[in-house]
Amino acid sequence: MAHVSDFLTPSDLQRISNLQVFARQVVEGFTTGMHRSPHKGFSVEFKQHRQYVPGDEIRHIDWRVFARSDRYYIREYEEETNLRATIILDRSGSMEYGGGQPGQVSKFEYATKLAACLSYLMLQQSDGVGLVTFDTEIRRYIPPRSRVSHMRTILGELEAGKPGGETELGKVFHDLVPKLHRRGLLIIISDCFGEVSNFLKALAHFRHARHEILVFQIWHPDELNFQFKGWTQFDCMERAGVKHLLDPAVLRQAYLANLEKFRGELTRGCRRHKVDLVPFTTDEPYAKALAAYLSRRLARG
Amino acid sequence: MPFSLLNAGLIFGAVALAIPIIIHLFHKSRFKIVKWGAMHLLEAVLRTNQRRIQIEQWILLAIRCAIPALLALAMARPLWKGASSLLGNAKTSTVVLLDNSYSMDAARAGTTSFGIARDETLRLINELRTGSEVHVIMMGEGGRGLLDAPSYDLSRVTQALTKSSAGFGSARIPAALDLGAGALEKMHESARQVVVLTDFQRVSFPATEDALIERALQRIRSLPAGPNVTFWDVGQEVKENVAVESLDFSRLMVGVGQKVQIRANLRNFGDANHADLRVTFKVDGKDKAASQVALGPHAKAQVLFTHAFDAAGSHVVEVSTEPDVLAADNTFLASIPVRDRLPVLLVDGAPGATPDDIASETGYLQIALSPFAAGKVELSDLLEPHVITADAFSAKNLADTSAVVLANVRKLTPEQLRVLEDFVKNGGGLLVFPGDRTDSAWWNGPFATLAPVPLAGISGELKDASQGTGIAAQRFENPALEIFNDPRNGSMTEAAIKVWFKMKSPASSGDPNDPVVLARLDSGDPFLVERAVGHGRVIACSSAADADWGNLPARPFYLPLVQRLCVHLASTVNPPRNLDVGRSLVSFLPTAAAGKKALLTGPDGTSIELPIVKRDELGVVETAPLYQPGLYTLQPPGGQPIHYVVNADRRESDLARLADTEIAEFAKAHSVAVVHSSAEFRENEHRQRFGEELWKWVLLGLLAFIFLELILQRKFAGARARI
Repeated sequence: MAHVSDFLTPSDLQRISNLQVFARQVVEGFTTGMHRSPHKGFSVEFKQHRQYVPGDEIRHIDWRVFARSDRYYIREYEEETNLRATIILDRSGSMEYGGGQPGQVSKFEYATKLAACLSYLMLQQSDGVGLVTFDTEIRRYIPPRSRVSHMRTILGELEAGKPGGETELGKVFHDLVPKLHRRGLLIIISDCFGEVSNFLKALAHFRHARHEILVFQIWHPDELNFQFKGWTQFDCMERAGVKHLLDPAVLRQAYLANLEKFRGELTRGCRRHKVDLVPFTTDEPYAKALAAYLSRRLARG
Repeated sequence: MPFSLLNAGLIFGAVALAIPIIIHLFHKSRFKIVKWGAMHLLEAVLRTNQRRIQIEQWILLAIRCAIPALLALAMARPLWKGASSLLGNAKTSTVVLLDNSYSMDAARAGTTSFGIARDETLRLINELRTGSEVHVIMMGEGGRGLLDAPSYDLSRVTQALTKSSAGFGSARIPAALDLGAGALEKMHESARQVVVLTDFQRVSFPATEDALIERALQRIRSLPAGPNVTFWDVGQEVKENVAVESLDFSRLMVGVGQKVQIRANLRNFGDANHADLRVTFKVDGKDKAASQVALGPHAKAQVLFTHAFDAAGSHVVEVSTEPDVLAADNTFLASIPVRDRLPVLLVDGAPGATPDDIASETGYLQIALSPFAAGKVELSDLLEPHVITADAFSAKNLADTSAVVLANVRKLTPEQLRVLEDFVKNGGGLLVFPGDRTDSAWWNGPFATLAPVPLAGISGELKDASQGTGIAAQRFENPALEIFNDPRNGSMTEAAIKVWFKMKSPASSGDPNDPVVLARLDSGDPFLVERAVGHGRVIACSSAADADWGNLPARPFYLPLVQRLCVHLASTVNPPRNLDVGRSLVSFLPTAAAGKKALLTGPDGTSIELPIVKRDELGVVETAPLYQPGLYTLQPPGGQPIHYVVNADRRESDLARLADTEIAEFAKAHSVAVVHSSAEFRENEHRQRFGEELWKWVLLGLLAFIFLELILQRKFAGARARI
């Protein structure tokens, strides 16, 4: 049976564990601040009484105490929210790219670890976590649960999933919307390759369903700097038989320009739809990247 | 063709243009495969750029191919002859062929033709642009460089040129042009020219050498950049010249007090009639005799002088005519060694009771060689015979000997034979008379190294005179026997020979060292056979030296015969003392002198010290080839001076020039420019095209291509980045 340690090294776990206190605040912070929880007061716990001061809402006065003591006391509650997050993991062929160098991880491996990391973090906080894997269509949908044992189910799927097939983000996301009955946080982990307009339309659809969306875009450094030397044949990972023989040095500048254009469109589109787009490269320690994201989230309040 | 290459071989380096193509194909064939995810990013780029990239790649490949090709072209030093470049503007490689034959010494208006040619050459060199290279070739006697090699140091060339002089034999134009071509091949500048300064003397331009001249000129023209050849006529028509062409004198060794006849051959090369031309005869610089001779226009004459040398040693005789335009050929010199005694060693194979016993094998020989001593007359004999037995013969007997006579010697020991061989090879003479004791097996065996011909057996019968033979009447070519061509000196046909050794007639292979039959018997068998061995000579007689086998000693000719044979054999002056221009002076001195120095004084009075080197058993002095005619005196340490004379070929004495029309024809036939003055030379120079070297431009082009390649590479990459 898959275990979290198959994906996360002890140092990763340590790092995440250290994030616990910090993460709790952050999660609470943004779920209360950013999300209007659909189940407000669902799990409200009494904390203490305090004396009424002018300005306090009258509806919060504990009339029972007033009856007993003839004094105005305000009931204070400790509010807890349960986040329902769904991790949407792209396992299309392009995610399999890991460079040719030994020791390098593929984007899919990285994405898987990132998903495991997030799941662990959230379950540790008793948040509900679900997982959707897809390529040309949805391959598996695990609804969000907040039980710690749910981690095993997620890890099992993460372990079993193998990348392959073409990316059809737009179609898949449209298909996904009806499955997500309750609003929540959608964490899309993908390289976002494909038509930008379709992708943005799909995001708009999610937003329309009032989901909060985070996109973790995974890049391999090769895709960002395109520093290949000598004649190279590029075989397409998603479409069999598609190959191009070329001198990468000659095309590098044009490729980088095109890449910049693609990223620009994506960034602008995400901003327009109020979607956070966080790019990662596979050579960044994912836990560190996660921490960087959370701290940025905190900074945004 | 207006375009040529100075280093044509290097143009093959242009195949290097294949290198970028090969690299391109090599890289393309060794591609790596990458499974790529971000294909949509790549394909978008490819869609918009593919055609354009292909064109750009072709442009870059073409430029990269052009770079090594241009480099090879620059190194091949292309030359564009269509462009003109004045001599004064360009660095040049100039070869000057300067005629320094002695005809160039002909006097004219206070100077000589050579003086004019030298001054013009100096001016030509001074006008060359700094950085030019020059090679001056003196054309006398086949030609030789004024300096060892072409030089960029013009001052060094002018310095050497200022010291140069004419009078060096005769000029041969084809050989000099060939030397010029050889020099040009090693020279570096593209503007090349050959300037030939000559007096156009007819003898230097014989019709028979036309083809050779053309061949040499073709060789020059076939050189890269096709050098220009200009003939500069510095001569003038001289009608008058009388020359002493040669001196004839006996080549036999001269003894003290012996009268020697010296015949001077004179020739008038001019039109003037010399009714009483004064000819003087000097010995060792002192006037000894004078004679008047009539010499008509273009006539030849001989003048005979007789002289008896009063002291032994090296003497110089000199015959001169009156001074004229060309002083160099007015005097002819000869070096004559004079001996007061010529020791001859007689090795007696059948000795008598006493050394001077008439019955001994050498008894008659002894008397014939020193008749005055034998007759107790108070006159000195030149030849000084000394008799020993065959057993006593050894190296120490040869210390002061000029010739050895073996008479009826049965055989010599191997050691004796080796000593005798060394003696002959070093210039000694050997006369061999066989006899009844002669061992023909030894003669045909070990002695074959010296014997002129093998012995084939004895002919004739002692008791039967009818089976005998005589010496055939014939004309003798050998200097030892030529006196018998005059019947007044006796006749060899008087001899009656009863017994003789048959000798095989030598076969002639054309080798000058082949044995030669000097005299034959009536039977047809050789009587005297001569063979050169090393520097010496061996003469073998087929009959005995005494009266045992015939009546030779009793005949009047016996005395002059053996005397002349011995003098002839002892006359080898080795090495020769009368040399042609271009030969080296060699002198053999006693071994004791080896390691010391000898002083050689040349015709111009300058002296140099020459080392005496030990070679075999001799001390040898040897100079470089001598080109300056005249008298050279070698002073060995502690010995008498030895005179050497270098005489130039008298062909040059004929000062007749080619007619102007012939010179014009020559120029036309060989496609060369002929100029007569410096003004004409400069005018001609302006007309000539030396061509423009293009390597600098090609190199600039190469640099431009390198920059272009860099710029285009960046530009193309940048252009794609903007799409």
